[in-house]
Amino acid sequence: MIQRKQVIPGDVIAKGTYRYGSNIEKRGDEYIALRVGLAEVGTDGLKLNPLTGPYLPRAEDEVIGKVADINGFGWVVDINSCFDGFLPASFVFGREFSPATHDLSSKFALGDMIGARIESYERSRDPQLSIRGHGYGKIESGEIIKISPTKVPRLIGRRGAMINMISEKTGCDIRVGQNGVVVVNGPPEGLVKTAKAIKIVEEEAHSADLMAKIEAYLGGTEVGK
Amino acid sequence: MKKNYVVETIRKAQMVQLLVEGKRMDERALDQHRPLKIETGIIQKANGSARVTLGNTQVIAGVKIATGTPFPDTPDKGLLVVNAEILPMSSPYAEPGPPSEEAIELARVVDRGIRESEMVDLTKLCLIPGKSVVTVFVDCNIMNVDGNLFDATSYAVVSALRTAKMKKYIVKDDKVEATDDIVPVPVERTPVSVTMARIGDRLIVDPNAEEEASMDMRVTITTDDDGNVCASQKGEASTISPAHVLEAVDTSIKVGKEIRKMILEAVK
Repeated sequence: MIQRKQVIPGDVIAKGTYRYGSNIEKRGDEYIALRVGLAEVGTDGLKLNPLTGPYLPRAEDEVIGKVADINGFGWVVDINSCFDGFLPASFVFGREFSPATHDLSSKFALGDMIGARIESYERSRDPQLSIRGHGYGKIESGEIIKISPTKVPRLIGRRGAMINMISEKTGCDIRVGQNGVVVVNGPPEGLVKTAKAIKIVEEEAHSADLMAKIEAYLGGTEVGK
Repeated sequence: MKKNYVVETIRKAQMVQLLVEGKRMDERALDQHRPLKIETGIIQKANGSARVTLGNTQVIAGVKIATGTPFPDTPDKGLLVVNAEILPMSSPYAEPGPPSEEAIELARVVDRGIRESEMVDLTKLCLIPGKSVVTVFVDCNIMNVDGNLFDATSYAVVSALRTAKMKKYIVKDDKVEATDDIVPVPVERTPVSVTMARIGDRLIVDPNAEEEASMDMRVTITTDDDGNVCASQKGEASTISPAHVLEAVDTSIKVGKEIRKMILEAVK
């Protein structure tokens, strides 16, 4: 049985021996919360989901960013975080990349949205991005919606249940970045519904029957089927 | 680090598309400003002060009044100096250090509107010609940046000056003395500045940060109570057509009237 409780920094979440994740520190045999949020005490370990906070990059995360600057070696990408992502030109043009022959802005111009994967991140350097792989690269169209990065897991739901439901009911194609940037494509009336549904998820992320609430809100509006 | 705010390309395309239809992203009309809130008397130790909230843009202005020597070319006029500072916490793109080009332009444009409308009667601030005059310093702090700092700052300065009180100075035996009497600053008029941005071929009033980042050209026009244009400033690289100049003047007089009413209501 998973126990949930609200914690503030300094609160003791549990005593004993547990596995524990980020935002938790072990002192002696006490596990201390480092953030304001919901702590989960399960049989196998401790988890602390912060209520607010910036996006903290993690390797292998899929993010959606905006080209904020271009320099000779690559693109500086705003990934809605306290750190700027960097997409090296050699990851895009290949090993033969040379600043003299390749025009970076012809590939991604200032303000372009790109779907990318965090290639590597450690504290001493800005996160490095990569667009290698299926589905990554420039995002050509869509409505941009930003939500708090801490609410992203709720929006996706258990194995994508929430996002798939919204997508099915509205007939929209929804792409969620782990950094809280969401891009929605679809029919105009579906876009409005989707945007509203996403806002509800963000605002009521703490409520237990969120899935039912969203289903009720979207109920009967199957578009594009 | 990021130097300037860049609008997402796909969002800008949507914005341009909507403007062609005469609509804006935040559902405002083209000549509609954001909700304006003016609070006065927020700093107790200042002679006058105001906080203006225009949408998410927030500015605080404070007035400090003292005596000093006049400029040699205007020996019979008081001093009026408007300064503005964009605080580092106001936006992710603001940096600490010496004032940016942007902040200097802001202070100059706001100062020019107040000065050229002859809002403050500077001749009444002269105590001993050539030797001693009343000095009025208005300092503005930009608390939050969401576009159109020009207008927000201008309204804050006007409201602060309108509510400013100073000690009555008298001249006795060729010496200036401050009395305990409190008098208002000699304010004659209420200049209102209206900033418009051009995106494509549409002029929009009170651009927010997103619109400012996409604009081709910006123009600020200050009008006084009688609808006279007293100052203007054009910014950004692109040009302005004669038709747009006339449209901008008309719009600034019309919108200026509404805003003047709000300012006068707030400073009552």
